Amino acid sequence: MISAVYALIAIGFTMIFGVGGVLNLAHGALIMVGAFAYLALTSTAGMLSLPPVVGFVLAVAITAGASYVLYAGLVSYIEDNIVITFLATVVVALLLTEVIIIRFGASPSQLVPIVSGSITLEAVGTRIRYVELVAFVVSWIAIGLLWYYVTKTDEGRSILATSMSTRGAELTGVDLETVKSRTWLIAGAFAGIAGVFIGTLQSTTPEMWLNPLALAFIIVVIGGIGSIKGSVVAAYLIGYLETASIEILGPSFQGVLSLIVLAAVLLVLPHGLYGRELVHE
Amino acid sequence: MTNEDNNTAGSNRTGKEIVGRRTFLGATGAAAVTTSLAGCLGGISGGDDDVFRIGHLGPTELEMGLGAERSAQLAVDELNENGGVLGRDVELLSEDTGGSPTEGERVTENLIQQDNVDLLVGTFVSEVTQGIIDFVAEMDVPFLITGSADPDTVTENHGKEYDHYKNVFRTGPINSDLQAEGMAGYAAYLNEEYGWENFSILADDAAWTTSFRDILPTQIEATDGLSVVHEDRMSVETDNFTPFLDDADDADADVVFRFIAHGGAAAFTSTWAQNEYPFALEGVSVPGMSPEFWDATEGACLYETTSQSGAGGVAPLTDRSMDFVDAYEAEYGDEGPPSKPMYMGFNSYDAVLFYAEAAATADTVDYESNLDAIVDAILDLEFTGAAGEVSLYGPDSDYPHDVMETRTEDGIISNFPITQWQPDGDDGVVECVYPQADATADHVEPEWL
Amino acid sequence: MSSATDRLSTVTGRLDQSLQPLADGFNRLFGDYVGELNGLQFVLVFGSLAAVLTAPFWGTFGLVRAMTVAAIWAIFAMSWDIQSGYTGYISFGHSVLSGAAAYTTAMLIHNVDPGLSMAVTIPVSILAALVVGLLIALPSLRLSGPYFSLITFVAVLIFYRLIPSFSAYTGGETGIQSVEVFTYDPIARYYYMIVPMLVVAVALTFIARSNIGLILVSIRENEAAVNAAGIDATKFKIFSFALSSIPMGIGGVLLVHFTGGVDPTTFIAVDRSIEMIAMAVLGGMSSILGPLGGAFFLIVLRDYILTDLANLSSPARWTIFWALVLAVLVFVRDGLFRKLWHGLERYGRGRT
Repeated sequence: MISAVYALIAIGFTMIFGVGGVLNLAHGALIMVGAFAYLALTSTAGMLSLPPVVGFVLAVAITAGASYVLYAGLVSYIEDNIVITFLATVVVALLLTEVIIIRFGASPSQLVPIVSGSITLEAVGTRIRYVELVAFVVSWIAIGLLWYYVTKTDEGRSILATSMSTRGAELTGVDLETVKSRTWLIAGAFAGIAGVFIGTLQSTTPEMWLNPLALAFIIVVIGGIGSIKGSVVAAYLIGYLETASIEILGPSFQGVLSLIVLAAVLLVLPHGLYGRELVHE
Repeated sequence: MTNEDNNTAGSNRTGKEIVGRRTFLGATGAAAVTTSLAGCLGGISGGDDDVFRIGHLGPTELEMGLGAERSAQLAVDELNENGGVLGRDVELLSEDTGGSPTEGERVTENLIQQDNVDLLVGTFVSEVTQGIIDFVAEMDVPFLITGSADPDTVTENHGKEYDHYKNVFRTGPINSDLQAEGMAGYAAYLNEEYGWENFSILADDAAWTTSFRDILPTQIEATDGLSVVHEDRMSVETDNFTPFLDDADDADADVVFRFIAHGGAAAFTSTWAQNEYPFALEGVSVPGMSPEFWDATEGACLYETTSQSGAGGVAPLTDRSMDFVDAYEAEYGDEGPPSKPMYMGFNSYDAVLFYAEAAATADTVDYESNLDAIVDAILDLEFTGAAGEVSLYGPDSDYPHDVMETRTEDGIISNFPITQWQPDGDDGVVECVYPQADATADHVEPEWL
Repeated sequence: MSSATDRLSTVTGRLDQSLQPLADGFNRLFGDYVGELNGLQFVLVFGSLAAVLTAPFWGTFGLVRAMTVAAIWAIFAMSWDIQSGYTGYISFGHSVLSGAAAYTTAMLIHNVDPGLSMAVTIPVSILAALVVGLLIALPSLRLSGPYFSLITFVAVLIFYRLIPSFSAYTGGETGIQSVEVFTYDPIARYYYMIVPMLVVAVALTFIARSNIGLILVSIRENEAAVNAAGIDATKFKIFSFALSSIPMGIGGVLLVHFTGGVDPTTFIAVDRSIEMIAMAVLGGMSSILGPLGGAFFLIVLRDYILTDLANLSSPARWTIFWALVLAVLVFVRDGLFRKLWHGLERYGRGRT
């Protein structure tokens, strides 16, 4: 279920790489922005205590905005140098962590679920919270809309074209700046959605950016950098591996299995399952 | 939080300025290049200084550490009102360890070598305690541990090389071996109350839970009719707790004892509450000790319990408890979380006053020349603190220099309070539910059971 | 602007000329190996050297301690630089190398024999760093660009997660604390760290200025051309990684005998790798001495100026720390010390 949310994160990450050749290590920090924005807006102990759905929409909008600001205010000036961009974005993430500690404290918080309650699936022997279902459905709707957007509309197709060949797209009259800005907005919105759900289903802490980022990393590399389809497939593969490694190797090996698979994929299939040659170097 | 930090501790730092600006050789003596510093520092610390300096160590960006820092300050204020320690003014120098061993080592070296503290109090994270302990032992500065409960700290150090580590003590909480035994007593109590028989133990895959993983199952099953039906370790990286709770459910557990210290605790709690898993949630949750946990979990923590030294500041464990909590609330009530001292606060407060009393008996704070007299006075002291009675084990026991557990007539460990989040209108309130002698309310089971 | 520069350089140029004889003496002796200096640069290098060597005689305790730590990190930053800075293959995995050395020391003492002398553990640990370095380098250097960075990043995550998995040997997340420190005497300890650092700095500068350094830079600039010239670029990339592993091992050993123990957060966590990179980039990549300066600058700032002097809480301190790194990344891409160095060159020789 949560794999769909991971797919959202990975798609945002991979789209940014696709159109700009930027490895945005602050992508995890955007997830954190989403979760904390939702916390500030909806927390019953807070000042606003907005209804969850309103808070959700606003949090997603704020994150998309933050993503755009990150691009326009920082990344667009340094994206020609891949190493500097890599470093600068990770520093942004570390910086945001400290800012959030100063503002919200280091203790974890739990978000108000958009819907509460759960159902028991006797057959499988597990319980599913309604909010997990919401997360699943919303994530798939978002992915579906994106798919429609990049394949059926001209605006969207320009994004896809750019990620296939920057030069080719420019030659056919695509405005690169607009495409990039749009991509960062979409990736930010996706990160915002993911942030609210991860913050609800897991926990909202100033360190919450690292694990989703690491997973997005793994998913994107396995799926192939730049590929939306690859991200979805790999997200489910990793979701399965995470569970399997707990079952097979024991809890202290959680995460190790997917890392090893990742290392293997990198070595055997450096461009991932659905990847293509790098064109942005 | 940051600002409060500066207000409370920063205002008391004048001593540091003076010493800190002296050049290095000036402070340590010109011949220090090859001689050990301990010798040189003797001239400055203790005897010929009019100020008794206490260094407090804790992760003050966390509520736990901040509560401890404030509590230590309260103890210092109290001492100063009553004439100080052996006539000397008392000054608190609080340092933030950031919960990291590297940072802990840095601030400890500063406190000892630059600020010349006469006493160290604190350390919450076991890694930090273990990281600084060799250095502190080398320097002979008395060190009272008030946060971390790892038994290895004494068994692996004092147990093997007593003389080297004899300046290190723990005045609270009881170590986790004893906590595990206390938890087994609590399991027996739950069985009497509700007839619960099947226990599940879910522990962080971390050093501090070792005792609960190794000792607790046998201890629980020592009571007739009780069995541990499910045990598992959870990686500290875990953020999805559903599989663990499902397994406990499949094993028909009546109670899950969870031992959890990292940020995932809130997610654990809300996974349990939202899914209304059919068992009670008990054990130790460090984040769950926060007086603000109700808001942080949006009320999902209702009915969960945690053991915590000091009983969350809601129960009159001794005559001193409520006076301390009132003083804390009066002083810091408006300065943001934590609104109660939390367990390390109780222990840090007690530790400062405990040492002052021992120093009065020994009639010296000059650890450089009279460490043995100080150690003897500390080991002989029977002290009533805010968290309970404090007396320490002697050199030849299993846990040298560790705080003793207290026991009821039946041999059940009694300085091991358990608190529960209970309903209070739309809000939640912390009540002490165990041991019965200290309880402020009866334990209640989740309404969905 | 330019007139101000002119006026400044008439003064500095004269100053430079008066110092030139000293620098010339140095250049005659060593210029062939480490490059020629002008008068101002000579003062910078030897002035800093003198300051570093005499720090305990004028610094406060906090400053000397910060510089002790900085010496170790300077070794890391320089080692990172000879590999990543020079070849352009950015490694996010260097904390694994120092961690391997430190863990080897600690695990030998903890699991094999507590009485092992440093004469045994130190060389074995440095060797371990080299072996781990090769283990990472051999497969991953086939990859290029961001893929290489990614896999080194993953290497850190794997090691970090495996340590608690084998806690019986590694001590889990609390690590092993039974390692002897060199000394608790802060002055002696300072020289224990500074002397190896200077040796590493001289050795790496020498290598970087030799033909090997030239080849490594060529790999960064145009790998295809290097191959076309009949030089096996892969061999040199692996060589640079191995070359970097050895001082990383030395630094790891120093660090473990400084803290008296190992634990995964202090030694392995990916933050440590990022800090090394931050130091190197801040000082100026591919210059060896730039990263050295970067390490001293950042650690003295973080552990002394922002704490002992400014008395900030740890989140505020880290906020300033990272904000500064970010600012340098964006505005002074070539690094502070490279900027300073070229500045001195301009002001010194510009108007003679």
